[in-house]
Amino acid sequence: MTTYIVRRALIMIPTLIGMTFLLFMLISLAPGDFSMALSVSGGGQMEASSRAATIAYYEDRYGLNDPIIVQYGRWLGRISPLKFGVRDQRTDKGELVRPPREVRKPALWKLFIDDLPNPPPPDLEAFAPGQEPARVYRLSANDYARTRTTYLSAATRFEVEAGRVLREQSLDKFVADDGRLDGAKPAGFEGFLFTTQRLPSEAVEALKADPDVERTFGAAVTAYTNALASRNRIAASFATKPHPEAGMPLIPRLVWLGKPDFGISVSRSRPVGALIAEALPVTLLLNAIAVPIIYFVAIPSGMLAAVRQGTWFDIASGALFVALWSVPIVWACVLALGYLANETTGLGLFPVIGLHSDDADAMRFLPSFAGGWRAGFLLDTLHHCVLPVACLTYAGFAVLSKQTRAAMLDNFNADYVRTAKAKGVSEKDVIFRHVFRNSLLPLITMFVTIFPAMLGGSVIVERVFSVPGMGSLLIDAIYLRDREVLLANAAIVGMVNMFALLLADVLYAVADPRISYK
Amino acid sequence: MTTTAPAPTTGPSSVGGEGLPIARVDNLAVSFDNGRGPRIQAVDGVRMTIYPRQTLAVVGESGCGKSVTAMSMLQLVPRPPGRFDRGNIWFDSAEGPVDLLKLSNRQMRSVRGNDIAMIFQEPMTSLNPVYTVGDQIMEAVLLHQDVSHKEAYDLAIKAMSDVGIPEPHQRIKAYPHQFSGGMRQRVMIAMALACRPRLLLADEPSTALDVTIQAQILELLVELKATRDMAVMLITHDLGVVAENADVVCVMYAGRVVEYATVFELFADPMHPYTRGLLASIPKLHERTERLVTIKEVVDNEAEFRKLPGADKGVRPWWPWHDAPADLKARDEPAGDYYLQEVRPGHWVGVWRTEAVADHESGPPDLAFRKVDSETTA
Amino acid sequence: MSKEAPTERAPTSDAITGVHLMQGIGHQPTRGFWTEAWADVTRRPAAIAALGWLSLVIFFGAFAPFIANGHPLWVHDTETGDLSSPLVEHLSAVDVLLAAGLVVALALWFAPVPIEKQTRLRMLFFGSLQAGCSVLIAMVIDGYFGARDAPDFARQFEQTKLYKPIAAAVAGLTPALIAATILMLLRLGWHAVAAVVLGLVLGGVLHQRWDDPPDVYDYAPRAAQGEIEAVYTLIPFGPQQGETSLDLRQPGRSTLAAVIDGVVTEAAKRKGGGGFADDPRFQRKDRSPNGVSMSTVAFDDAVMEDLRAHLEFARPILREAPEDMAAQAEQLRASGELRTLADVARWLEGDDAPRFIVGTDSLGQDALSQLIHACRLSISVGLVSTSIAVVIGVTIGAIMGYFGGKIDLLLYRVVEIFMSMPVLFLLIVAAAVLPRNTYMMMIIIGCVTWTGAARFTRAEFYKLRDQDFVQSARAAGLPLWSVLFKHMLPNGVTPVLVDASFAIASAILAEAVLSYLGLGPANQASWGKLLSDATNQVGNFVWWLAIFPGLAIFLTVLAYNLIGEALRDAIDPRRKKARV
Repeated sequence: MTTYIVRRALIMIPTLIGMTFLLFMLISLAPGDFSMALSVSGGGQMEASSRAATIAYYEDRYGLNDPIIVQYGRWLGRISPLKFGVRDQRTDKGELVRPPREVRKPALWKLFIDDLPNPPPPDLEAFAPGQEPARVYRLSANDYARTRTTYLSAATRFEVEAGRVLREQSLDKFVADDGRLDGAKPAGFEGFLFTTQRLPSEAVEALKADPDVERTFGAAVTAYTNALASRNRIAASFATKPHPEAGMPLIPRLVWLGKPDFGISVSRSRPVGALIAEALPVTLLLNAIAVPIIYFVAIPSGMLAAVRQGTWFDIASGALFVALWSVPIVWACVLALGYLANETTGLGLFPVIGLHSDDADAMRFLPSFAGGWRAGFLLDTLHHCVLPVACLTYAGFAVLSKQTRAAMLDNFNADYVRTAKAKGVSEKDVIFRHVFRNSLLPLITMFVTIFPAMLGGSVIVERVFSVPGMGSLLIDAIYLRDREVLLANAAIVGMVNMFALLLADVLYAVADPRISYK
Repeated sequence: MTTTAPAPTTGPSSVGGEGLPIARVDNLAVSFDNGRGPRIQAVDGVRMTIYPRQTLAVVGESGCGKSVTAMSMLQLVPRPPGRFDRGNIWFDSAEGPVDLLKLSNRQMRSVRGNDIAMIFQEPMTSLNPVYTVGDQIMEAVLLHQDVSHKEAYDLAIKAMSDVGIPEPHQRIKAYPHQFSGGMRQRVMIAMALACRPRLLLADEPSTALDVTIQAQILELLVELKATRDMAVMLITHDLGVVAENADVVCVMYAGRVVEYATVFELFADPMHPYTRGLLASIPKLHERTERLVTIKEVVDNEAEFRKLPGADKGVRPWWPWHDAPADLKARDEPAGDYYLQEVRPGHWVGVWRTEAVADHESGPPDLAFRKVDSETTA
Repeated sequence: MSKEAPTERAPTSDAITGVHLMQGIGHQPTRGFWTEAWADVTRRPAAIAALGWLSLVIFFGAFAPFIANGHPLWVHDTETGDLSSPLVEHLSAVDVLLAAGLVVALALWFAPVPIEKQTRLRMLFFGSLQAGCSVLIAMVIDGYFGARDAPDFARQFEQTKLYKPIAAAVAGLTPALIAATILMLLRLGWHAVAAVVLGLVLGGVLHQRWDDPPDVYDYAPRAAQGEIEAVYTLIPFGPQQGETSLDLRQPGRSTLAAVIDGVVTEAAKRKGGGGFADDPRFQRKDRSPNGVSMSTVAFDDAVMEDLRAHLEFARPILREAPEDMAAQAEQLRASGELRTLADVARWLEGDDAPRFIVGTDSLGQDALSQLIHACRLSISVGLVSTSIAVVIGVTIGAIMGYFGGKIDLLLYRVVEIFMSMPVLFLLIVAAAVLPRNTYMMMIIIGCVTWTGAARFTRAEFYKLRDQDFVQSARAAGLPLWSVLFKHMLPNGVTPVLVDASFAIASAILAEAVLSYLGLGPANQASWGKLLSDATNQVGNFVWWLAIFPGLAIFLTVLAYNLIGEALRDAIDPRRKKARV
């Protein structure tokens, strides 16, 4: 059994990689909206320093100059618990420190000079004499942050000038929306394969002739040299292992285990991992209440419909469930909100927003009567859950009850039921012991259909009822153009979904003796 | 070979006494709803008897109603779409003679598996895939016998070893899919015989199996019949199986009995053209023939229909594809145009109820013949 | 045992027995699998009702511009005496093709010519496919040449006179010529000619309607000035025609609502805040902020001043000149007919100005017009995206099922990747990052939901692969595509087609959800988008924007589900199995 689960879980890994690849490509190749360029430009309103910081962040995480496939590899390496290369280090404050990355070279530098200047090799002793390694590292990190920000600002100024010249040359294709030379990568599918694009020769001439371009380029190269020197210094400092190494080595210097790192949400300035850790339990709670409800309602009614095939109950329950199934979830949510929750236009029976009352933190867990009725945390949460859960469940009844009924009817006609009847088994035992036990198998399979649908439904439910779950997080990420949250959220939801499907598979294997575990 | 019984030939007292059959199917008719079309008359006026320790073979092609007859005996015909139109099935149960068709569900359950057991054609699907074979055998035992779980377990082990399943102690915990087809059929038989029924309905028990296993299963049935003093109704379309195992043969076609005789009589002197066609279409080892005669050739030949004793007086074999004879004296009742005529003592043939037949009405088919008895007397 | 029993003669008695069934006697005559199944479907009242509703939606979708349009059907210029039809002038190529297409389709279907229904169905299907391809190509061409960042040569070419005819010809004739080539290869000469003729017609329509004239709704003031006389369609509002001063007006209110509400608000302000008990904006009198009735406020000079101001403010949407209306009000005040504010409100409401039958949305656009125009999106997204999903799914599923082995293993991983994400999540992410237009939405939904069709086809082909007719087709040396799609597909496609009805329903639901979240096509009326206006402000619930669009989605989805259920029951092999 354990082998079966392990084997089944191992199959998940390529699927997981494929799924994240699909997502990453979708988000990266999409024209405009979620490309990093837009996040970096911040709609053109961001200040130069914060823009440089954002560029630095993305540069660090993805390598803006690299082909998208390499960027995906980096992102996957960050979120994977299995990591390759030199191990990260952890400061005493618990922050992760990574080996520094190469500094991006100024755009189009080959047009102006043959070779970029090489800074002298780093000398840590001279930089911070007599300091302990951790302090040396911190100092050089501060220095690197400063020089890099300076460099990025200088590079941006150069790119803006170059962009202006190119626009004068009517070469808008090479200019980003914010007026900079778009030297990061060509747009669209080209960027998947190539990292540079060819400028026409007259544009090159015009760039070389422009004094502003030349001036800003010179500044950028100087800043680049400083940043590179600083980078080499921090690399040398990192190599002295100023902090204890994080994670667990599997193969020294090559493979190690570490915590998945989902990055930092640009819109909320918080680690994405923490955001998901808050949102995921909420969504799981809703589904953990909703899924059993579906099964508890649908299975008995499906059984009854099968046993009383053709009676009014069969027809009425079938019609009701098909009708419920056809109710769009957005409509159900809106109607529930308007007529049940809203106090002015409806009955005001349920809370409109969220999963807890404002004062929920001050509540006791259980209801109490002492000094008047107090609902307590548990009941308060349940009260808030009623409408979201109702909106999540109603559509699932039809699918499951139909399936139960069909499976029961199939098995009623099965040969082994005839055998059981010929043995003299009573009608009740035939239904429960023989027919239902066999009908259970397709019902477990139905979980594979129901669970993803419910996860999807949570997006709408959470959005309408302002429940802070994974769905709300996703929609917010979309509206705020927060790439890190979007990627991490979708990947985690996919993973949760896959684990649920794994669970269904294992349950199936337990329930059906014909499946062998070997 | 004499068969005339002094006892009444219908009604509850026609079964269960000394020298009387254990079960008597009397004028049974079963039909099925066919959606928009007319009802399908699967069984129409079937009569037969089964005596203790006797093997009655019911022969006929697919769809002729033989399985429906057997399933009617346990009320296993799904209703709807099925319906018992008329007739009785008298059975000598533990509480005296009863009409199996009139029993309530509750009464029926105490008969099923206990007095009458049934084994089915498809051993692959007739066992519940999610329970161990031990569970399924014990279920029958626990239902009908007042025994503890432990005793039921022992009985199941015993039943399994009786039917020749090796290592029953291990195999009892196995699931049906872990058995081969022949072994599954043995499990089915073990399950059917665990409660020592007095009548076993074997619905083509060997059809789905390969030839060597077929022989084993049939031998097993014969052996068990002898040791347990039970009657067997063997439904088959394999005349070889019939010749080997049956005492009395009942040939059915289109829901009616066309011929009813002892196995010796039937093979020696078939009288209905359909039976003759059946027998003629079997290859015979000691004869060299260019090609086999088909049933169609026999039944299409009008002359064949005039060979019946009494044909000169106007007795014509019943055949659904023929126009009814001009002198038909149909009774004003369902299936009134047809009659199972005892054309010779101990040999019944389904004929049109013509004037000549109406004059010579005979009793319903009733043969207590057993091969074993005749062998011992011989 | 020989099966050769006589079959040429019918049984003598009317009873049918199992033997007769075995010999093929007594079976109902069959009329072809799908005809039989369809007859079974149409025997159900629920399915008939569903078909009726869908026909209605299709009708509204095809003829939406002729039912609800802000451009008048007819304009009579009083100065020059010219007659013109702005409605026709503003029809887009798609409008024309849809309306004309439905007429042609109905004519073809019911025409008393000796063509088999199956042939007619095939003609309609391939005709609409070709038209769809042409429209899509036209969109792509227009998108490339008309884009802001188009290359120079493209921009220059777009300015030339040749651009329109060449583009229209390319769009119209490319699919036509491809279809004609295939048809010629299949030796169907007349069909090829028909395809080319259709292509010419499509090219002509596209050329005629290449540019969308800007939507300027200046008919009301011009009519008020007496310049023109305009005759409108049944609903005189376009789906995109909005007036922010008319936002969220209740069903049944007229275009004068902005004037009335403005005057009433001013009056309430003068009375010291709050509102009136009988303010037309409040649904429930008891919940209005102030119990005072409007009939207690006299129609004094101040009210008259407000009325004049608000009429002037509403000039662009009034069909009479504001001065005339103000003068009329003055006159009625003098004659004592209008004494109180309530009278004024009633007088204005009683005007025969066009009414918003089911209210307006938050942009002041008529909800009914949007409901009608959205039929088009709903129907087309459902059909097209499901077709895309079926084509992708069947192709991949057929390859998986037929080849098995490593190809199956590899492709099934792809299917698993798509199944590992909840469909709605994938849809939302894709819709969020990709351009927002109708065609992209169809493609997204189609490309995300194909796995179901793939799995069904795979299972069927797996079973069919070893059957004798497939083996013999392969043994006969038929090419692979012929074995796969000519011999196996018709036998294996049944579950996919039955499921398609449910898939269409899910696609419509998906469209509604995406539009609700604001990820739907821009500038396109949609039921989901309308529904999203029902709760867009905290604590503000707009019942008419919740009920009507929701009901429309619900009924359409229900209709597809009912047809799907009926179809599934009709072809259910369990029902056909003899139960003896």
